[in-house]
Amino acid sequence: MENSHTDEPKNQKKLPRWVIIAAFAVLLGFLTLMGWGLRNAQQGPVQVGQKVPAFELTTFDGEKIKTDDLIGKVIVVNFWASWCKPCEQEAAELEDAWRYYKDSGEVVFLGVDYVDTETEAMRYLEKFEITYPNGPDLRTAISQIFRISGVPETYIIDKNGKLASRKIGPFVTIGEITSMIDSALNQ
Amino acid sequence: MLPNLGYGSLVITLIVSIYAIVSAVIGERKNLYKYVESARLALLLTFPLLTLTVISIVILLVNQNYEVQYVYNVTSSTMPLYLKVTALWGGQAGSLVFWAWLMAAFGTAVTLRKWDRDLDLLPWVIIVSSVTLVFFLIMIIAFENPFIRFWTLPSGGELVAMFAPAGSQLIHPFDGRGLNPLLRHPGMIIHPPMLYLGFVSFVIPYAFGMAALITGRKDDRWIRLTRRWTLVAWMFLSIGLILGSRWAYDVLGWGGYWAWDPVENAAFMPWLSGTAFLHSVMIQEKRGLFKRWNMILVIFTYSLVIFGTFLTRSGVLSSVHAFAQSAIGPMFFIFIGLSFIISLAFLIKRWDELRSEGIMTSLLSRESLFLINNLLFIGILVVVFWGTVYPLISELFTGQKVTVGPPFYNSTTGPLFVGLLLLMGIAPLSAWGHSTWKTLGKALWIPAIGSLILLVVLLVSGVRSIGALIGLTVASLAAFVTIYEFWRGMKARHKRSGENYLVALWKLTVRNRRRYGGYVIHLSVVFMAIGIIGIELFQTETQGRIAPGESLSLAGYTVTFKNLAEFDVADGRNVARAVLSVSKNGKDLGELYPRRDFYYDSQQPMTIPGVRSTVEDDLYIILVNWEQISSMGATFKVFHNPLINWLWYGGFLLVVGSFIAAWPDPEKEIELVPSRILRKETGKLVSKP
Repeated sequence: MENSHTDEPKNQKKLPRWVIIAAFAVLLGFLTLMGWGLRNAQQGPVQVGQKVPAFELTTFDGEKIKTDDLIGKVIVVNFWASWCKPCEQEAAELEDAWRYYKDSGEVVFLGVDYVDTETEAMRYLEKFEITYPNGPDLRTAISQIFRISGVPETYIIDKNGKLASRKIGPFVTIGEITSMIDSALNQ
Repeated sequence: MLPNLGYGSLVITLIVSIYAIVSAVIGERKNLYKYVESARLALLLTFPLLTLTVISIVILLVNQNYEVQYVYNVTSSTMPLYLKVTALWGGQAGSLVFWAWLMAAFGTAVTLRKWDRDLDLLPWVIIVSSVTLVFFLIMIIAFENPFIRFWTLPSGGELVAMFAPAGSQLIHPFDGRGLNPLLRHPGMIIHPPMLYLGFVSFVIPYAFGMAALITGRKDDRWIRLTRRWTLVAWMFLSIGLILGSRWAYDVLGWGGYWAWDPVENAAFMPWLSGTAFLHSVMIQEKRGLFKRWNMILVIFTYSLVIFGTFLTRSGVLSSVHAFAQSAIGPMFFIFIGLSFIISLAFLIKRWDELRSEGIMTSLLSRESLFLINNLLFIGILVVVFWGTVYPLISELFTGQKVTVGPPFYNSTTGPLFVGLLLLMGIAPLSAWGHSTWKTLGKALWIPAIGSLILLVVLLVSGVRSIGALIGLTVASLAAFVTIYEFWRGMKARHKRSGENYLVALWKLTVRNRRRYGGYVIHLSVVFMAIGIIGIELFQTETQGRIAPGESLSLAGYTVTFKNLAEFDVADGRNVARAVLSVSKNGKDLGELYPRRDFYYDSQQPMTIPGVRSTVEDDLYIILVNWEQISSMGATFKVFHNPLINWLWYGGFLLVVGSFIAAWPDPEKEIELVPSRILRKETGKLVSKP
């Protein structure tokens, strides 16, 4: 960038070629980045009815949960983060829903903590008294499978491992959650 | 047929705008004024043509023509009239038309002015405005046509198309899907048009800047011509941002107002470069410095406007805002690429000619402090830009999408904002050309003592947050300096002319609108800073499930749950409304009614907080959940947001200040060309015949 000191009248040098090249290089780099991001964005999230690729969640307690082992159950995958304010809106409802289904053994809740620090995340889980398994999205591998566009997002996978429904943004009532889970259970 | 009329008018506008570009280019190349004049008239025609399109859409919306896909998508029969009208910008297609319409309006306004002295700029201003317009029109016609309708084919299939496929019949759905309830807030109704007004009006300074760059005019004429545009554009953008915050505060129900979301950043970035531009153009006007820098800033601002629109509509960056994705992403991408490359190419071509006419002599001079101000603004811009695109960069290089959250932005931009506040306190007291510590200190010591007293008061009253102490002290310095400036000017006038103080204050402001309007804006920024410090550093919250008769306590307030009722309302809502009584330190303060509205048509719920607002703080209660039998209890979230209302007061004051600064000033207009410019005028500047 220019500043006034290089800008004196006697300093009448031409703009060096490398500056010009660098400026265009930066611009092209930026455009490439945007173009690449755009291409990814155009793919969109996983579609309802599609088979969801298997993934593994390592919980904060160190337990490894593989979705392959959960075939035959309905899986509720909730993406959240401690810095995400809208997530707080649905935290209590999700926990209530989990407690409602817990004993049936037919539904599994997985909380995927998207781009977060562990201390903050643990504090969040404590604050909302969340008891279903939660773990960090290591290398953002899980969110990339779903190609989420932000948090919170919730994906419900049916007993055959296919995506039954998805919710972008927070749930507002527990009824909203249970009706989605129930319809996946009844499929 | 209304859809055909509106669509036809769109297509004609496109043809007319392309004609304007071609004709302006011919006129410029061949030096024939009649072609330029023809281009000017063509651009004038785009506004009435697009007005016809806009009227068509509004009539379709109001008449509930649900056979039109756009009408079906954004309205429903239960919506009141004003929402049906404002649904014009409630969806992608309509908002693009609205954008184009504003662009045409501004293009028209610009071409209607007297051009005799600046005819050499005219063709390029027409070309830049028309190219932007053409781009939006192509996007509307090719990808986001608001007039496409639902048809049944003879085979029984259904189709959306602009024109009737052979043998098909129109489908008239019984009702539409309705506008997203989150968007039914008054703030959200005015917020988008304000942002668009701000965005689109920044195209005009850019068009002039590019015209100056292309024609090689080195004077600051383009800046003087667009000064008011820039200020008005900046004001609209500011209003848009503030209303967006207010909407988030009222509707999103998390007690916050700003989340550093990519979509918010997208609107904030052009504001940052625009604010830097507003300040630095003054240096070019007064001292002939920073010519290249101003050109860079105006190009940045325009590019960030287009980039922001691209970000919000292409889905490139993840955001908690749910924006419709569509095919316009690639189109936008090509446009961004071309406009960036062309702007940069012209900037480089003219780089050597845009030399400053002087040098900076003193570190404490006004121009030097303005330079620091610009660097701080650009610093914030760089931080926000980096944070915004960081997920993409990290994904490209490491395969993981890493999003940076509010802590990153708060810790990085916080000190820079404090620096800006400090400059706001010092810079108005420094002189152009030359200032020393001595002269500055002489002017500064009275306001500085005021701030020190405030600091002591804060310490004594128990404030221990370092951020708050620094922030409030620095903010108060800016406020005291500003008030002191008013006071000094008023007193001097009173002494000189014998006018009473109020008249003196009025005349002082009216005679120096730009300066004192600017000061009012500075005061408004102080107000906003106070509000932001309050909520960022002192917000407290609690949450709990309570049965009727039970209470939650927070920050001296006690809220007691009285009862809850669930009922249907005639406009298609189911409302769950809680009644809570509020008291503070035993004193009864009345009731609050947080509620949850469920919209049947769009199947969407909306949380409406119960808020008690005072100058001092907000008590903000959200109804989170409730038992089917309401006597069982309900869950509430309670926020205590100290000083937050200062943010909104600041918003009002900002508008007042902008109006003062931008108001046409006939006396000043006459001596528009300062001697410095006349001296510099060369043969190159002579207008074409």
